[in-house]
Amino acid sequence: MELILIIGSPIIASIANFFSKKRKACETATIITGAIALIAAVSAALKVSSGGTYSPNDYFSIDALGAIIITLIAFIGFAAALYSVSYLKKETAKGIIDFEKTRLYFILFNLFIAAMFLAASTSNPIIMWIAIEATTLSTAFLISFYNKPSAMEAAWKYLIINSIGLLLGFFGTLLFYTALTHGQSAVFSWDSLLLNAKNLDPMVAKIAFIFILVGYGTKTGLAPMHTWLPDAHSKAPAPISGLLSGLLLNVAMLAILRFKVVADAAVGSQFSGNLLIWFGLISIVLASFIILVQKNYKRLLAYSSIENMGIAALGFGLGGIGAFAAILHIIYHALAKSLLFFSSGNIFLRYSSTKIAKVKGMLTVIPATSLVFVIGFLTIIGVPPFGIFMTKFYILSAGLKTHPIQSIVALVAFAIIFIGFLTHASSMLFGNAPEEISKEKENKWAIIPLIILITALVILSVYLPPSFKALIDSALTKYQ
Amino acid sequence: MTDYSSLQSLMIAAIFLSAVLLHLTKKNSSAILLYFIQSLAIGILLFRPLAENFSLIILLMAGLTLAIKAVIAPLFFLRLVKRHQLKFSASTYLNTPLTLIVIAALAALTNSRIFSHIASIEPASQKILSLAIAVVLVSFFLIINRKGAISQIIGILSLENGIVAFALFSGLEQSPALQIGIMFDLLVWVIIAAVFISMIYKQFGSLDVTELKHLKE
Repeated sequence: MELILIIGSPIIASIANFFSKKRKACETATIITGAIALIAAVSAALKVSSGGTYSPNDYFSIDALGAIIITLIAFIGFAAALYSVSYLKKETAKGIIDFEKTRLYFILFNLFIAAMFLAASTSNPIIMWIAIEATTLSTAFLISFYNKPSAMEAAWKYLIINSIGLLLGFFGTLLFYTALTHGQSAVFSWDSLLLNAKNLDPMVAKIAFIFILVGYGTKTGLAPMHTWLPDAHSKAPAPISGLLSGLLLNVAMLAILRFKVVADAAVGSQFSGNLLIWFGLISIVLASFIILVQKNYKRLLAYSSIENMGIAALGFGLGGIGAFAAILHIIYHALAKSLLFFSSGNIFLRYSSTKIAKVKGMLTVIPATSLVFVIGFLTIIGVPPFGIFMTKFYILSAGLKTHPIQSIVALVAFAIIFIGFLTHASSMLFGNAPEEISKEKENKWAIIPLIILITALVILSVYLPPSFKALIDSALTKYQ
Repeated sequence: MTDYSSLQSLMIAAIFLSAVLLHLTKKNSSAILLYFIQSLAIGILLFRPLAENFSLIILLMAGLTLAIKAVIAPLFFLRLVKRHQLKFSASTYLNTPLTLIVIAALAALTNSRIFSHIASIEPASQKILSLAIAVVLVSFFLIINRKGAISQIIGILSLENGIVAFALFSGLEQSPALQIGIMFDLLVWVIIAAVFISMIYKQFGSLDVTELKHLKE
């Protein structure tokens, strides 16, 4: 039942929006179905937490990590739905979009959410591939939403690079399938793959994992396949940027991890671990230098996503306590990054620019957003007591024992990112705001979703509810 | 049986040859025609299991694949070319002799240790699988080497054909239900890609992707 509600709710919202002729109806349908999906997702997560993997039929199965990702999609998706309403209203008031655009937005928004739910809940690798491909298709028009040349270009780049990446991922998936064709089982699922992993030719398993890592790694934004990400995330409407960075990257990472488990069973964990460590490290280092010299705050956040997915890859590559920290890291990053992107929407609506140099005196112009933005910034750069400080600390601790050079390089990169972020943040927060910027009071509906996210972020930074902790422990048993 | 093997070899040769010729053609309509030939060959191969054992679901799935790959997609692109008068594809990064050298190198690469290992997952079809891998590599190079948006799209579809050919000859075919899912995905992708090509042409007045420079900040 939960699964039907989780995947069905956004699909129903999308269909309702398609036939809707009123803005209010589009907004209401999206928010109500978002709330239903959230309740169902929490219920499913509690079920998994207490009773283990939830498999209602042959094609669907929610394990612990899947439950965590689904809960994140539902929670951030709901916050994004709330935020989208006020954001799009403001854009309509400014004459940037009309009702037709708003309707299209909500149709695609819900399809995007449904595709992510499907990807995280299916037990079949091919359905997961189809669902992740569907996320590309539903978001391409959201990236080109404003029909500007730069947005069009970003969407084209996104479509082409991700399509190639996903085809390579598909090829890798087929190679993994040889475990079944050369064994006894015929049902293609994560469990059957794992059960028959020993049938895989070790060389084929290694090649297949490389294809998977390059393919889904493209979608995860791992360097050097990341080139689409800063463009797409910076050109999409702010709520979509939040979903792309906070959720979609995690869904693609989930695909990599599921294949990693199979590859590890076939050839040991060192091969996939080393690959993840190197791809992660390259992503962190590359992002650090670009963050330092970045001139656009939305691109800054996008490069930060590359860095954070790199950190997660590094953690999963190291395994053990590193993997535990990596699971927590993707949760904190999802919350903090969506928070920052939603805040960037408020900044853009007030300053009408995404250039850092044009944003001055945020503290006086949009104080509530500024406060949220500061907390988001401090979280993302890893300042204590926020969760990302702990996850970075654990990952580096794990790394120093087995990969000291890589860990030190990562530490230096973190320091560069810290300096870069603080420089940019202080430049935006302080100073005198340009005279033409309106100082009208902020709309509460543009702030409430941010407060919801920040509350979750702060609570989870200091306290993990037992059922949530049980999910993480269970995920760790499988994915470390 | 020998006739059947010959037909299979002929089809895979046609798929590979069309992937190579896609590099040499300058006209968009020729590229679409080559993609049509390639997809037709894939379609014929998909009907292969029916010769041994008739199944309505396989017939339906093969028919659907043929319809999407060899009819709907080429028609979509032809309409696009006609509507915008896009006779010639944009140029390539490498000139023709260099392109041919790279293609030869990529074809030779399929005999390398790594790729021959993949091709040997089905020893009876090793040569055919090597050719399918060559189609994947040559198509990948097409996407990189071409500056035209239509050529890039056709390159991606040709890459997908290479993977389908590989799956067919290595016995990695999925259940018909999943194949229909993949085909539906492909159909939506083709529609979206065609819409994007149209939007890019309207916005930039060209399909040369090197003209897309608005993101450089």
